[in-house]
Amino acid sequence: MPGSGTGTGNVPMAVKSTLDIVRQRFKEDEIVHYIFEAYQIQGQEYLDRLLALVSSESGGTYAIIAFSYLRTPLTTANELIINKVFALNESFQLRQDGKGSITTMQFDLSTAEDRPIKYYYYPLKSQEYEEFVAKVISCKNSMYKCDPEAVLNFSWLNDYRQIGEVKQELKKREAEYIVYKDIIIYCATWNVNNKPCCDSNSPLRSWLACSEKSPDIYAIGIQELDTPTKAMLNSTQMQATVEQWTQKMVESLYPGVEYEVLRSVRLVGIMLIVIVRKQLRQHILRCQLNSVARGVLNTLGNKGGVAISLQLHEGNICFVNSHLAAHMGYVDERNKDYNAIVEGMRFDDRRTISDHDHIFWLGDLNYRIQEPPGQQRPGPLTDAQTYELLLQYDQLGQEMRKGRCFDGYTEGEIKFRPTYKYDPGTDNYDSSEKQRAPAYCDRVLWKGTRIEQLAYDSIMEIRQSDHKPVYAIFRAKIKKRDEIKYKKVQEEVLKAVDKRENDNQPQITVETVSIDFGRVRFNEPSMQDFNVYNNCPLPVDFRFKEKDMHDICEKYLQVDPRQDSLMIDSARSIRIKLLVDVRTVGNLLKKIRTSDNFDILILHVENGRDIFITVTGDYQPSCFGLSMETMCRTNRPLSEYTQEQIKHLMRDESPEYQVTMPREFFLLIDYLHRQGSNLEGCFNAHDSRYSLGGHFNAVRDWLDTWSNEEFPGNVQTAAQALMLLLELPEQSLLEPFVEDLLASSSKSKAMDYIALLSAPKRNVFMHLCMFLREGILCQYYDLQQVALIFGRILLRGSSSSSRMDYNSRCIQFMRFFIDSDISDSALGNGHASGSGNIQAKSSTSATFSSSQSR
Amino acid sequence: MNKMRSVVNKLHERIDYLIEKCPNMTAAPYNYNYIFKYIIIGDMGVGKSCLLHQFTEKKFMANCPHTIGVEFGTRIIEVDDKKIKLQIWDTAGQERFRAVTRSYYRGAAGALMVYDITRRSTYNHLSSWLTDTRNLTNPSTVIFLIGNKSDLESTREVTYEEAKEFADENGLMFLEASAMTGQNVEEAFLETARKIYQNIQEGRLDLNASESGVQHRPSQPSRTSLTNEASPNRDQCSC
Repeated sequence: MPGSGTGTGNVPMAVKSTLDIVRQRFKEDEIVHYIFEAYQIQGQEYLDRLLALVSSESGGTYAIIAFSYLRTPLTTANELIINKVFALNESFQLRQDGKGSITTMQFDLSTAEDRPIKYYYYPLKSQEYEEFVAKVISCKNSMYKCDPEAVLNFSWLNDYRQIGEVKQELKKREAEYIVYKDIIIYCATWNVNNKPCCDSNSPLRSWLACSEKSPDIYAIGIQELDTPTKAMLNSTQMQATVEQWTQKMVESLYPGVEYEVLRSVRLVGIMLIVIVRKQLRQHILRCQLNSVARGVLNTLGNKGGVAISLQLHEGNICFVNSHLAAHMGYVDERNKDYNAIVEGMRFDDRRTISDHDHIFWLGDLNYRIQEPPGQQRPGPLTDAQTYELLLQYDQLGQEMRKGRCFDGYTEGEIKFRPTYKYDPGTDNYDSSEKQRAPAYCDRVLWKGTRIEQLAYDSIMEIRQSDHKPVYAIFRAKIKKRDEIKYKKVQEEVLKAVDKRENDNQPQITVETVSIDFGRVRFNEPSMQDFNVYNNCPLPVDFRFKEKDMHDICEKYLQVDPRQDSLMIDSARSIRIKLLVDVRTVGNLLKKIRTSDNFDILILHVENGRDIFITVTGDYQPSCFGLSMETMCRTNRPLSEYTQEQIKHLMRDESPEYQVTMPREFFLLIDYLHRQGSNLEGCFNAHDSRYSLGGHFNAVRDWLDTWSNEEFPGNVQTAAQALMLLLELPEQSLLEPFVEDLLASSSKSKAMDYIALLSAPKRNVFMHLCMFLREGILCQYYDLQQVALIFGRILLRGSSSSSRMDYNSRCIQFMRFFIDSDISDSALGNGHASGSGNIQAKSSTSATFSSSQSR
Repeated sequence: MNKMRSVVNKLHERIDYLIEKCPNMTAAPYNYNYIFKYIIIGDMGVGKSCLLHQFTEKKFMANCPHTIGVEFGTRIIEVDDKKIKLQIWDTAGQERFRAVTRSYYRGAAGALMVYDITRRSTYNHLSSWLTDTRNLTNPSTVIFLIGNKSDLESTREVTYEEAKEFADENGLMFLEASAMTGQNVEEAFLETARKIYQNIQEGRLDLNASESGVQHRPSQPSRTSLTNEASPNRDQCSC
C-alpha cells in the first residue's frame, strides 16, 4: 500500500481510493503494487500522470504503466487513459536526473524500445517517490535474481500497448464474448537425412494421417532437407525439392478433407509448413514467419529454427521447427541454440514466441540418451519399462528439469522407440563403425493453455532416413468471439467511449453572450468586462477565433486577453474596449448599415464548442463619417437621431434631399470664412487630424446640435473638422469619378464629370472650391499646398493613388477649380453653360444655407 | 561530410522533438478509420440540437436552450466494417448568426439541413439554407434534408410529399424524423455516412483535398505516417 507505514500522516484518503480505481483498470490476475503521481511538461503545460507499478501473475513479470486522467479526483477507471507502457525488462532504466530544482524534481524512464521519457514530481511527494523507486528496483531485481537466464514473458502487456481505448476496453471485457472452439492440431517432424522425397513412392499417410478425427491444422517440420552444395547455390533446384516435399505431404494428409497450404518457411535444410483445413482459412487473421540461423559460426543455418505465427479467431498460435546442435556431448550448445531461437525470433509485429496462447515446438532437438558407463540393463524388460529406463538418461528431460531449456514446455509421455539412429531401409539401430547410441532426437513439445495431447508416436515403417518420423496430435481450445455477444459488448464500449468523449468535452461558461455598450459616441472610448468560468473537470484553453480571413473582431473593438487557459474552477475576466474614432468610424457605420449588432465574437474552447458573443451598443450619430447624401437627408441636428433612424437614412438611396448641402459642412465653411486672415497656414499636410483630443468633442457636439453658441474651437480645429467631414465617409467626395477626374486634362472635361455627381456632393465640392479659391486669392494659404491636401482627400481611394504622378495629378485637378487664373480662363473658354449652371446652384445653396443658419 | 552528418542529426533531433511534442501523433492509436465532419443547419427552433443529442445520447433533451454558437458532438459508427468517427457541428439557427455560422460549412462532408414540419416558414427558408450549403461546401458534400418533429402530426404544416418533391428536385436525401421519439434520427445520420463512404469508395471524394471533410486514419499509426497525421492533429498540438 502506498504511503502505509511511512508515517506520512498527510497521505490523503484519495490516494487509497485512487489505487482502488486504478486496480479496476486491470485484470484479475494483475496486481497493482504502487501508484505514484507525477507529471510531464509539454510547452507551458503540466500534464498529470499516474504511474502504476503492476505485475501479472500469469506472466510473472512487472511493468510500469503511465496513465493520463480525464478528471481529478478520479471517479471511475474509465477516466484513466494509458499513456505509456514500460516493461521492467533488462533494458529498463529509472534514471534520477540531477538537474531537478527546488520546485521540480525529475526522473527518466526508458527501455530499449523507448527513448527516455521525463517525468516530474513535486518535492512534497519526495517520500513517495523514494518508495516508488525502491519498489521498482526490488521488483526488477526479483525477476532477474531468481534466474538470470530466464526468458521473461511480457506478453500480457500487449493488451495495454499500442491499442486504442476501444480495444483495451473490449479486451478487458473479453470474458463476456469469448467462447472456445476445439481445434485438432497435427504436429509432425522428421529428419529426412538428405534423402529425396521420391525415394518413397507411397504417400506418407502412415505418418500424416494417424488421427481419428480430421485435423484442422497441420504443422509439419522437416530437417536435413535434401540440400547438396549444388542445390544450396541453385535456388530453382531447391525450390523444386521443396515443392516435391510439399506435394508429397499434401497428398498424404487425412483423406476426404480439403486442405490448403497456409505458409511454409525454410532455413537451409530446416523447413516448416503449415497446412489448414480450407474452411478454416478465412478465420486466420494473421500469419507471419521468421527464422533464426545457428550452426557453423552461428550463422550458416545448417542448424537453427524456423517459426510460423498465426492468429486463428482470437487465438495466437506459434509453431517452431528447430534443428539443434548434434553430438552426445553438445548439450550446452543445444541449450544455447534453443535460447538463441527464443530470443532471436521476432515476427513482423514484434511478437516473440512467448507472445502466443498456444506454442508447439517440434524438430530434431538432438538431445541424446547418456547412460552412465557400464550401465547394466536388468533382465528382460517390457517396451514400456525400456522407454522409462532410457528416458531417465534423456538429456532433454534432464536439462528441462534443471530449467536450462524449454522452460514452461510440456512433453507427452514417450511410448515409442528412440527415433535415431537407424540403418536406412531397416528398423535396426546404427550398425556402422560409429555405432551411435540410440536417442530420442525427434520431439514435439507444447506450451500454453487449454492444450490436450491426443497422440504422440513415431512411425517405424518409414525407413528411408536414419531417423524415424514423429507426430503428435493435440486438441486446443481456441479463443473465438461469439459475434452476437461481441457486437453487443462492442456497441456498449463504443457508446461509453462516445459518451465519455462528449461528457468530457471542455466546457466553459460565459457570464453573458451579449455585451451591450449602451450609449457609444464618436471619439469617446468605452469598455465592458465579462467573466468566463471553467466549471468542467479539466483545464481548458480558450481563444477568440478569427473570422474568415479577418481579425477576431471589428477594428473598433479590442479584446483582452485574446486567448488564455483556465484551470479547473477558475474564472477570467475579459475586457472589450470600444473606440469609434477617425480610423474606425467608417467600419462602425458600415456595420450599423448592414447589421443589427456591432460584432459577433467567436469564443472557441479548444476541443470543444464555440460560443458566439454578440456585441451591441447604441451609437449616437454624429456628422463624422456620414456621407454628404445621408447628411442632406437629415432635417434636424444629428444628436436628435437614433442609431436606428440613421441606419435607415444610410440605406436610403433616393435622390430626395432635405437640404442641398450638409448644414454641418456649411457651418464650418461659414465659420472659417469669417476668420479672414486667421486662416493663414490652417491647412497643412501634417496629419494632426488623426489624433483628436477630448477637446474635439465640443466641436463634434457643436456640429451635431446645430449649436447657436460660439464655435468652441479655433481655426485649426475647424479646419481639422472640415477635412474630417470630407475624408471620413466611406466613399470619397468625388466618387464614382475619381479615376476619370485624375485623368482629365482640362477643366471642361473635369467639369463634365462633376456635373454628374450627386447634388449634395457636387454642391459641397463647388462650395469648398469657391471658399478655397478665395483664400488663395487673399493669399491666406499656398495654392500648391492646399491643392495637394484637398486633392488627396477628395480623390482618395483611387487605385491610381499608387501612381508616381498621383500627387501632381491631384494638384492639377484641384487647380482647375481653386486656381483663380485657371478657373477664370476655363470659364471663359466656352463652358459657361455647364459650369455656370453649377455655379448658380452652389450659390443658391450657399444663400439658402445662409438664410437657414441660425 | 561531417557537416552533413551533423545537419542530419539535427534534423533527427528536431523530428524526435516534434514527435515528443505531439504525443497524439505517435502513441495514440485510433479507434476509427475515418473522421467525417457534419454540420447541422436550419432555422432557429427546428430541433437541430435535439437531433444531435438524440443521436449521440439516445435521449430527448426537453427544454433545450437556444444554441448560442456551435456545439460539438461525436459518435463512432460502423459502415461496411469500418469505424467512422462522426464529428458533428451543431450550429446556431438564429438569423443574426447566419453570417458567422457560414464559416463552419467549410470542410463538411455531410450537411444535415433541418426544418420543422409544423412551421411552414422553416420549410420556406430551405432554399436559402441550401444556397448557402451549395456555395460554401464541396460538390461532393452529402446534403440530407430532415423534416423534424414528425411526432407532431396534428399540427403539421408541410406534407411529406411536398418536401420529398423538393428534396428530389434538388438531389437531397430526405427523411422525416423525430428528435423526441428518436424515429429515423439514427437513420438520417447513418445514411449520410453511408453515402459519404460510398463516395469515397467510388472515388467521387478526394481524401487528399483539404476540405473534403474526411480524414482517413490508418489503424496502426507509425512514425512513417508522421506527415499524414500532422494535419488532423494540427489543432491539438503546438507544432
